[in-house]
Amino acid sequence: MKSLAKKPDFAMVMASAVHDMKNSLSMLLHSLETIVEELPPEMRGSGKMATLQYEAERVNNDLIQLLGIYRLQDQSLGVHVEEHYVSDFLDEQVVRYELLFNARNIDMQVDCDRDLVGYFDRDLIAGILNNTLTNAARYTQDKIALRAFERDGWLVIEIDDNGRGYPKAMLDAPGEIQKGIDFDTGSTSLGLYFASQVAYLHQQAGKQGFIELENGGEWGGGVFRIALP
Amino acid sequence: MVDDFENFRMSIKGMVRGFGVEHIDTANNGDDAINKCNSESYDIVLCDFNMGDGKNGQQVLEDLRQSKRLKTSSIFILITAETSKDIVMGAREYQPDCYIAKPITKASLQKRLDGLIAQREDLLPITNEIDLENLPKAISLCLLELKKGGRYQGWCFKTLAGLYYDTGDYVHAQKIYEDILGRREICWARIGLGKVQLGQQNYDAAIATLQKVIEENPEQMEAYDYLATALEKKGRKKEAQSTLQKAVNLSPRTIPRQQHLGELAQINQDIEAAAQAWRATVKFGTNSVYEKPDNYLNLSRCLSDLSEGDLTEKGKSYAKEALQTLGKATKRFEDNKEIQLNALMIETRVHAGQKNEAASKKSMARVESLVKQNELGIEAGLEMAHTLYAMNESERAEKLLHSLADKYGSDQGVMNRIEELLDEPVNLQNKIKARELNRKGISLFEQGKLGDAVTTFKEALEVTPRHPALNLNLVQVLMKAMDTQGMNFEWLRMAKTCLDNVAHIPPQHRQFKRYQHLVSKLSQIKS
Repeated sequence: MKSLAKKPDFAMVMASAVHDMKNSLSMLLHSLETIVEELPPEMRGSGKMATLQYEAERVNNDLIQLLGIYRLQDQSLGVHVEEHYVSDFLDEQVVRYELLFNARNIDMQVDCDRDLVGYFDRDLIAGILNNTLTNAARYTQDKIALRAFERDGWLVIEIDDNGRGYPKAMLDAPGEIQKGIDFDTGSTSLGLYFASQVAYLHQQAGKQGFIELENGGEWGGGVFRIALP
Repeated sequence: MVDDFENFRMSIKGMVRGFGVEHIDTANNGDDAINKCNSESYDIVLCDFNMGDGKNGQQVLEDLRQSKRLKTSSIFILITAETSKDIVMGAREYQPDCYIAKPITKASLQKRLDGLIAQREDLLPITNEIDLENLPKAISLCLLELKKGGRYQGWCFKTLAGLYYDTGDYVHAQKIYEDILGRREICWARIGLGKVQLGQQNYDAAIATLQKVIEENPEQMEAYDYLATALEKKGRKKEAQSTLQKAVNLSPRTIPRQQHLGELAQINQDIEAAAQAWRATVKFGTNSVYEKPDNYLNLSRCLSDLSEGDLTEKGKSYAKEALQTLGKATKRFEDNKEIQLNALMIETRVHAGQKNEAASKKSMARVESLVKQNELGIEAGLEMAHTLYAMNESERAEKLLHSLADKYGSDQGVMNRIEELLDEPVNLQNKIKARELNRKGISLFEQGKLGDAVTTFKEALEVTPRHPALNLNLVQVLMKAMDTQGMNFEWLRMAKTCLDNVAHIPPQHRQFKRYQHLVSKLSQIKS
């Protein structure tokens, strides 16, 4: 029996479980879309549908972060920086949450020059934006803005809302997990930790990407900013 | 829409139908998809990466692009479920037009497709010219697009550099790559630069460039291939082999790379490694554009070499695998007489190497019923000579090689192969042993230890008795010894025997002049 007692490789088990869960999520989200289409129009904006979609997206974000953070520690998280059309990229992220934004009467604005190109790892940055958007959807009153622009050779992407803003501890040390993970708000600080690590992995000519948090912006709410060299 | 998972296929099909796409076909595996692309010209292919045991999405893409069954203007989308692309990017000689990560929702897929289709429409004038192989026209259209500015600058620079490279205009290609690299370290541009340096035969620069790429992006498979070629050009064949070895360890399914590795390992006489590479070409190449008779034949040749004279279990299993491989080859290329002939000759050798004389004679009889010896072309002729040696029919083999030398000897490459067979018609282990002893003998000779040198060369000649260089080396040592230590009849007799051993070489042989020279010198000593 000794030879059978081989420990399973955790990375392999996790990768294949994540793979499987993502297939399930695909089916789940697609079924949801189909159901919404079959509903009479007055029921389409139902909050329950939006909640279903919101929670499924959150599970997806968690899966991305889970695998990502494991691989950060394993130092095997490679970034694949390629050229992307930023406005197309932002539109694709936002469209995932259309149902949710409509159901919660959130006004979502995207502001980006059509010709703006950026150099980044599409999947990793998409993971960060999705996580930030789901959080913004949770904390905003009724407005979210997603904008991207170039400043001094940096690609800057900002997400603004008109909620209450970030708690002070988070503003002081964005992306740091200081006293372990607070399980009440755990997901948020883990998300920011992941975001700051991914930003840092984007390097160019001696410069490293970074994230910033502030309260204020156009509407006085929270502002999440990621800058990539 | 290609996926092995029916629910997923149906759900994507439903989505794209909802976008107004009229003609949608589905395939549940890579081979099916490739077949469908034979009979239809698709504008968009959506393909899952991970499809169980069959071809993965990257291989489907490779096959389609390589065989030009998918046009440059068509869009290939690779669907992945992994968060990070490492696994997928492992084998990207050919890049998909986009990666889409699961989970896929209708809204996000539509956005993505809209973007890709808009880009396809905008760039269609250029990609059409590329599909028509009208490269100069494509170049001028790219230049025009670049003047317009806008979002396609990056695409245009990359395409333009590739077009310059393809038309042999390395100077312009290099300028673009260097300009891009001056602004930002971009992997495809760095690899492009390495390719250009390789094209300009600036091998040292290419080696340095490509080594840097691999150091920073070990998953960039393309870079290993170019690096191996550059190293090979510089004669650094062992390093070239180990470079390709690293690449196939990371991504074993790329068949041209395995073929390259097989050839290199054979040149380096690393027959185990060569067998492994050819084995992979057979395993992964079935039903692909890369399935070639040589994959089967080379694997069988290596296995034949490995099993020759080895009657242990290991040797037997090599021989068995060789016969199985030959069986597959003759079945798959039934109508190709040349393949049948080559396969039979290798089969003859395998039997001979396993001391199965009856079986070996039987297959040789079939060879002879297929072709007359004087009708053999150079490739089949060399195979035949090799086989005759394995059957201990040295005289027939030599006669055949002489007639081949007469017919084809003006080609130096061919002559080298004829010489190699003439010089060392023994199995690989013995070849290597004889070479080591030869080296040792030469070094003893240089140190002036003539007696030891004689013993060593004699030992080598027991392994390859008719090797011209070895025999002539021994003659020279003996003459030097007689020169310094005086006449010795035993040595004289030995030298005479050595020269007789070499008498079989044709005048085209590179040792022929030396042979003639030593014959006349020896006759002077005798007189």
